[in-house]
Amino acid sequence: MPLDGDSDRSRRDVLKAAVAIGGASALSACLDRSSDDPVPTGDPDAKPSRQHAWRAHVGHDDHGNTQLPRHQILLYVDFAFDGPPSADDRDALAETLDALDRAYAWTNEGLLHSIAYSPAYFDRFDESLPAGIDLPEPTALSPFESPTFDRQDAVVHLASDRADALLEADRALRGEREAANGVTVRPLTDVATVDSRRTGFVGAGLPAQHQDAAGIPDSEPVPEASPLFMGFEAGFRGNQATEDYVTLESGPFAGGTTKVIANLRQRLDDWYEEQSYEERVMEMFSPGHAEDGLVEGVGDNLGDDSGIDRFVDALESDARTYGRVGHAQKAARANRDAEGNVRLLRRHFESTDDIGSDQQVASLHFPSLQRRVSEFEAVRRAMNGTDLTEVTPAIRQRVNNGILEYIFVRRRGNFLVPPRRHRALPTPRPD
Amino acid sequence: MKRRALLRTGGALAGSLSLAGCSSLIETRAAGVPPIPEDRPDGVYYPGHVEGMAMAGMTTSGDYGVGLFYSYPHRFWNVNGDDVSLTEVESDDAVHLMASVWDPETETVLPDTGLSAEIYRDGSLVSQETIYPMLSQPMGFHYGANFGLEGDGTYSVRLSVGAMSTRRTGDFAGRFAEPTTVEIPFEYSESAKNDISFERFDERVTTPGAVDPMAMDALPNAFAPPESDLPGTVLGSGTSDDARLVVTALEAPPAGIDGDAAYLGVSARTRYNRMVIPAMGLSGSLTRDGETVYEGPFARTLDPDLGYHYGAVVDGVESGDDLTLSVDVQPQTARHEGYETAFGGLKGGMPDVTVRVA
Repeated sequence: MPLDGDSDRSRRDVLKAAVAIGGASALSACLDRSSDDPVPTGDPDAKPSRQHAWRAHVGHDDHGNTQLPRHQILLYVDFAFDGPPSADDRDALAETLDALDRAYAWTNEGLLHSIAYSPAYFDRFDESLPAGIDLPEPTALSPFESPTFDRQDAVVHLASDRADALLEADRALRGEREAANGVTVRPLTDVATVDSRRTGFVGAGLPAQHQDAAGIPDSEPVPEASPLFMGFEAGFRGNQATEDYVTLESGPFAGGTTKVIANLRQRLDDWYEEQSYEERVMEMFSPGHAEDGLVEGVGDNLGDDSGIDRFVDALESDARTYGRVGHAQKAARANRDAEGNVRLLRRHFESTDDIGSDQQVASLHFPSLQRRVSEFEAVRRAMNGTDLTEVTPAIRQRVNNGILEYIFVRRRGNFLVPPRRHRALPTPRPD
Repeated sequence: MKRRALLRTGGALAGSLSLAGCSSLIETRAAGVPPIPEDRPDGVYYPGHVEGMAMAGMTTSGDYGVGLFYSYPHRFWNVNGDDVSLTEVESDDAVHLMASVWDPETETVLPDTGLSAEIYRDGSLVSQETIYPMLSQPMGFHYGANFGLEGDGTYSVRLSVGAMSTRRTGDFAGRFAEPTTVEIPFEYSESAKNDISFERFDERVTTPGAVDPMAMDALPNAFAPPESDLPGTVLGSGTSDDARLVVTALEAPPAGIDGDAAYLGVSARTRYNRMVIPAMGLSGSLTRDGETVYEGPFARTLDPDLGYHYGAVVDGVESGDDLTLSVDVQPQTARHEGYETAFGGLKGGMPDVTVRVA
């Protein structure tokens, strides 16, 4: 697909083609990239044993921060059979996933993919998950949210810098084409139905390109350099758990992890138009970050660590002094273990999906990996800052309280990401 | 605490509301909104104009009664900490939406719940915002914001009420602890909106005073209890930048607060209209013969008898004691015109109030 200039004609052609192959993310995908380079194929034997192994296989910025694949798709699926899967079901899904392994190299230039299973899936079995697996049903985690819970059986996560690769894999899984990157793929739809398909993007340039979505003011305030709609970098290496840390260490699912995925609608009119840059820094990071002038632009100058840890103890005094507290500041206090290690590995990406409608609305898909779902829940609750509303009335339930004024949780689901060896329809206690 | 109709036009439930009692000139709004008056006093004053409102609908869900109202887009003043800033009407604003949340059992208006609104038309999202708490002279405490709409038609407004984190006592303990979402249909037409009353006050503008509270049967008003209805022994009151602080002493704290010593409750209300003033940071000291017997916060608390108030457990209250109350954080509510210079506000300053126990 040519993308060789700014002429209306080539742009129109691109748009038409993009829409034809599958919706909003396709659109962003094609506008972002149309490489004629072949997509690297894969060697099933060269795949890591962890489905969530990304860091060694994707790009990093100058500071060593992970650059998440720029285009991503989540397929929420329900299995077509009742009760536990049969050996045939398991073989069918294994065939599908093995084909993806052959079709694509496990890199950001190929395809990263994983499948994760919900508590509802494991309820199909008589036996229960081992005691060491902390995988509750999703629940509301703030005193003001009423999300719809994603209780589908499983979620397939596809990620690549190559939009064309991503879309081929997606279409092959959904049975819309027979092959992906030249490899025949048995469709996922042989064993499952796709209940919800969600798309997104992350990385400098893409949010700015998509800021015509509802929820972002018409002044086009999202900086070109920002990887996210809110105008700042996130996921600094020093503020993320390592993949080792979030990996289950023992039991049948050793090598796996748990994954919570939320979808949040973003309403950024007041974020950008009612607040100054300094106020945004206060609310995203901490008042100390603004006071000390620590953040420049989108925050690339922070390097590999937002430096949030030294502002955590100042929360209450910041609330009193500034009448505002920071999002990162609140969350960080629950996001460290006794040794100071970060507990969550966040891999959020932007979207213009408005789940349940065809509208283009700014939203955020928020997958988080951790050993135990309760760790995520603790961090999310710390982010509510309910205790800080008691310190001063200047901090309200959602106002001056980090970024809560601008984000609206619409969906949440909890999943177990098995290690690769058990990725195809595992029992609760696989051998 | 429901105030009955003083003067009404239109139907009891869905009509447009008019203000009562003031001699005023009723005009069409086409004549234009008067500018913000010059020489505003530092305190509650008669604004240059006041707009009525119409009900979109109301409903009950769980612990909450919720009403949705609308009017012309308003300018108002936002309050964040010490900062007070004017929010002007924007060119694409169609309405000022107001929501009120109350306890259906006692008809107590609930401040501090947190509120957000989603507006849909034919299933399509028109807007979604976290709505700010506000104080207006006719309505008292409510949640409000200006919104743009997509012309005349039927909208659906989903209001999400957050659980309260304010301390609750007595029969309120354990209530209002869950969020809820209600959906209220909103029939909007510009011509119906333009029938909403619009009153100018030419002579009284900027003089001390307030337009009368509006009244409607279905909507509980956000009044603080009359002094004579407060439980305990009322020790006295004082005024700080037109916030009237009435102090009452109870022999024991309301159920749900630890301690068997005395309890001081401070009921804050607007001068003239007796509207509850929520969301202040209040502290106080009680001195006896030159010795301090209590010094500390008066916690925001919601009680069925005291209403929304600020309370502290103290080790007894005796004749001759002095209670000095200090507003550390001005009321964190946005202000409609006529309230923006009072209670701290644009001109700042909420002096301490001292009450001597008789």
